[in-house]
Amino acid sequence: MTTAAQPTDVWEHELLLTGCQAVSHAVKLADVDVIAAYPIRPYTEVMDQLSQLIADGELDAEYIIADSEHSQFEIVKHASSVGARAFGGSSGTGWMYGMEALAVTATDRLPPLFLVGNRALDDPGAFGVEHNDAMSVRDLGWLICWASTAQEALEHVFIGYRVAEDKRVRMPMALAMDGGFLTHAQHMVKVPTLEAVKQFLPPYDLGDRVLHPDNPISVAPQVNEDWVMELRRQNWEAARRARGVIKEAYKEFNGVFGSHGSQYDNPYFTEYMTEDADAVLIGIGAVCMPTQTAARRLREKGHKVGYVNLRWFRPFPTEELRACLGRFKGVGVIDRDFSQGSPDNGGILLQDVRSCLYPLRGDGPNVINFMGGLGGRDISIDECIDMYERTLAAGRGNVPEEIVSWIGLRE
Amino acid sequence: MIKRVEVQYRGVFQKTLGKYIGGDIVQIASRMGKVAFSNGRYSDAPERNGIPCKYFAFVSPDLSEAELEAECGSSYNADNVDVSVVVDDAMAQGVEPWGWHGIRPVNEKVGHKACLLVVTRRNHEHLLRFTAKKPQPYRLATLEGDASMAGLWVFKDDLTRERCLGAVAAVDPGIISIEAVEEYLLDTGKDADRARAARDAYEATLRRIKVVNPDQGIDWPHEIPVLPKWHEFEEGGVAIPAVKRGFKLGPRGQNRNDGFKHGTSKTERPVVRFDLCIKCTLCWADCPDECFDPTDDGLYDINYEVCTGCHKCADVCPVKECIVMVPELQFEDEKSPWEQHKKDPAGYIQWAEDKKGSTRIRYRHVTGEGVEKYKATPVPRNMDGPGQKEAL
Amino acid sequence: MATTLPMIDYEKIKKVHDAPLEEFYTSGHRTCQGCESALVMRDFAKASGPRTIATGATGCMYVANTSYQTTPWVIPWMHTQLGAGGASAVGMAAGIRALMRKGKIAKEKINIINFSGDLGGADMGLSGISAALQTDYDLLIILYDNESAANTDIQATGLSTYGAVTTFTPSGKKRRIMQRRWKKNVAPMLAIGHPTCRYVATASATFPALDFMNKTRKALNVGGPTFIHTFDPCPKGWDFHPGYSRELGELGIKCGIFPLYEILDGKVTYTYDPHKKGRIPVRDYLVKQGRFAHLIDEDFDYIQGMVDTMWEEWELPGIAPIKSGLEMASR
Repeated sequence: MTTAAQPTDVWEHELLLTGCQAVSHAVKLADVDVIAAYPIRPYTEVMDQLSQLIADGELDAEYIIADSEHSQFEIVKHASSVGARAFGGSSGTGWMYGMEALAVTATDRLPPLFLVGNRALDDPGAFGVEHNDAMSVRDLGWLICWASTAQEALEHVFIGYRVAEDKRVRMPMALAMDGGFLTHAQHMVKVPTLEAVKQFLPPYDLGDRVLHPDNPISVAPQVNEDWVMELRRQNWEAARRARGVIKEAYKEFNGVFGSHGSQYDNPYFTEYMTEDADAVLIGIGAVCMPTQTAARRLREKGHKVGYVNLRWFRPFPTEELRACLGRFKGVGVIDRDFSQGSPDNGGILLQDVRSCLYPLRGDGPNVINFMGGLGGRDISIDECIDMYERTLAAGRGNVPEEIVSWIGLRE
Repeated sequence: MIKRVEVQYRGVFQKTLGKYIGGDIVQIASRMGKVAFSNGRYSDAPERNGIPCKYFAFVSPDLSEAELEAECGSSYNADNVDVSVVVDDAMAQGVEPWGWHGIRPVNEKVGHKACLLVVTRRNHEHLLRFTAKKPQPYRLATLEGDASMAGLWVFKDDLTRERCLGAVAAVDPGIISIEAVEEYLLDTGKDADRARAARDAYEATLRRIKVVNPDQGIDWPHEIPVLPKWHEFEEGGVAIPAVKRGFKLGPRGQNRNDGFKHGTSKTERPVVRFDLCIKCTLCWADCPDECFDPTDDGLYDINYEVCTGCHKCADVCPVKECIVMVPELQFEDEKSPWEQHKKDPAGYIQWAEDKKGSTRIRYRHVTGEGVEKYKATPVPRNMDGPGQKEAL
Repeated sequence: MATTLPMIDYEKIKKVHDAPLEEFYTSGHRTCQGCESALVMRDFAKASGPRTIATGATGCMYVANTSYQTTPWVIPWMHTQLGAGGASAVGMAAGIRALMRKGKIAKEKINIINFSGDLGGADMGLSGISAALQTDYDLLIILYDNESAANTDIQATGLSTYGAVTTFTPSGKKRRIMQRRWKKNVAPMLAIGHPTCRYVATASATFPALDFMNKTRKALNVGGPTFIHTFDPCPKGWDFHPGYSRELGELGIKCGIFPLYEILDGKVTYTYDPHKKGRIPVRDYLVKQGRFAHLIDEDFDYIQGMVDTMWEEWELPGIAPIKSGLEMASR
């Protein structure tokens, strides 16, 4: 580890960190109170690092080694219920093992933050990235956000807690990160000062919902058909309000950190070379690296292509994304996930993108889908160039009968 | 046309009875060429001992099965029933199946000119001292008999089932006819006595149907909550205030759950002779419903609003005749008995002894002895009044 | 990173008249007539008092107790998932400890109590409870055992008595007994398996009087993670008249099928010793319950034989099914 950057008011130093380590530094700066750990590759490194920070006295938090992901998530949930800022995480089938706890954390409207180091779902066992794990909570009332660099991962711990804990939101936050590519690769990461973090992230306050003898309440009683509709509607409103709260949070974030290097023009997604583009690819996570390079190379040859890197998956930025993608003739959706038997037998992101574009009807872009990078299979720059070319063709009207194609498959 | 029948029964104790009556009506109506189906009120599950529950049967002579299902099968509840069969008359005091629905009149769902049919040994006037006034006239019929109580695993085969079918045929032959009931019982039971019991009940019930006019009954004393709209209650998950801490000696000195009382679960209530009490604390300590209020003289008052009539206090009390269970319909209020005792000790003793009567409710230790052998015992007549049953 | 906190010094309740009068779990719960598990709730809340937070795993004591906008709880209470009893207690205890240490809330002793039923306490939730008992948090787990999944209308669990009829184990024409598993011995399993857990006990809410309340207080006084397994006759599922629920508990203890004891720092104390007082026949207990109505003499004999073995052959009578001490391997 080296310190390269000059200390400023907002940046303490620049360190060589993996994605997981970057998150652990952010967890420390967010003054998290309770951490529950259970091992599964690839998210585990964040817990390795946090335990070291605690052992070294750099972080003051309870650290619990749970007996299963289900217990781990329940520990996090209940710590959150007594007013403690809590952190957990998992990957792949470990995330699925605790699914029951994940469902109730959302319906209890508690706002802990979880790191999901994306991993393929077993069987057969595979360590590499796939997004199905994090996406499995997409219908349960979670905030789901992908970081595509270690720096973003660090910053989204602060943004995540701030949005999740906002009284108008109070939803749990899944911060997802591609297994291997992001969790394990080391990059130079700017680490902010505690003062800057405090300026941006207020303390966790559960108000009159906190479990404490001074605030006797009963939480999550049986409701049956008398109340479920009304409660679901309240949650629906919260998810709707979250869109606005997210915007506020990024504005504030830019205010604190923006003039010093970290600036988000659009909270929900980042557009790369999309201006005047004919066709774009849209994807999630680390695939932005080859896709952006490929776009640059194609632009050099005069092809008008660009890339949309989707950050927030829940709440889905429907209107913003419709306005963005509606500008193009062809859209290629890259899914690092699968949804066999779904409307187009393609990926999960495809369904949401098509649904979001539906109001444009014939005025909208032609959409095709690429299934790629499953189980951590690499997506090369050449493959990205190929995807752009096919999307350009689709934009010109050459939409294949089967809109789903497989990238990087041995065939 | 649709005919709707509800059976109001005691959770667990009468679960099988309620289900049988509903199922029998479906089978009998089917034999008559009608379309019918039956279901329990789903929200009553999981049933608890004594808590008022419902079973429904829906019958139509002209609708298709799909249409009948569409009309009646997509709700957990039924409104405007043609017959409401009440198999424990203590429910006449009101029914409170779940939290925050209030104590509701037993005749709440009985439609215009429809019939409330109660298995009871009381007369109409007695029952009308408890039931709510309704804006429209309806009919009240009584079927002489006791509340037939059994356990989860057993059915008490004491002919209540057959007699209820006969009585339903009497109060609304548009649902099932007595001939079809008899034919069904003869075919399925191979037992003439069962059919005869239904016929006897049919004929007796025909003589015991009275029209209840809008001025008959009581002004309902219990508040019925109105569930709030989604934006009218606490947002941000599912948290509600706890019971506010509060305790002092004396009647109603303990703060309790205001949204659910549980008292309509009881068929009998404990009557206490405070003068015999040795202040051993057992009734209070062993009460699973926290209904005893300690008083400043070392006694334990009873809050009947929350007493479920489980008999436990009477069972653990070491003093003979100190706590005795008495059928609920002998009482018209839930006043503090301790206050009555303090005001007029001698008068209270007299009152308590009158209520207790000479017989005692005794239960066999076990309800679950398998299906009891049916004996065609004649149903005793003319037992209206304070006399007590020898239950089971 | 334990935090030293002021303790609540609970006194032992010596006489029934000294039991606290105030309720912290009060009237207005949708439990069965004669519910013994409701008494477990009432008594632990009464014994521990207002500076307590409770969680309840899914089960009868969740579904029956609270409905939206109505609750019998005076102390703060929260539902937890069926398998999460141990984790819920750990989560809350950890949260509270961190918040106190970091000065975010006032330092005081707050009792953390979880109650879990058969499935939550002895089957699905066992792993989480085991992990909770390995921590150094002050928490108490109460397993309220009514010998079935009572909330789903009486299905067999790992705690159902051999031979009992449940909706999963009916008696049929071909098989008289479907419930052929012997009751899981949970409290000793946890006591033996967690050497740093200082206090494990079994109890009944009503017999002997005050026993359960005092065990609750002892558990809270001893501190660290503790565990109590209560024996709750269930009128609905065991099929007896609700008036007799106390009596059934007493008979179960007196016949020796449910031993009452506490284990403090490894030292066993029988709090009711049927060995000394003379065990009554198990049959006297079984025949009073409808769930055993189908048993015949040989079944009663078998169950009696198993109970006799517990008390006469086990090294720790009624507690640990280990029959001999150290036996040196031949050299």
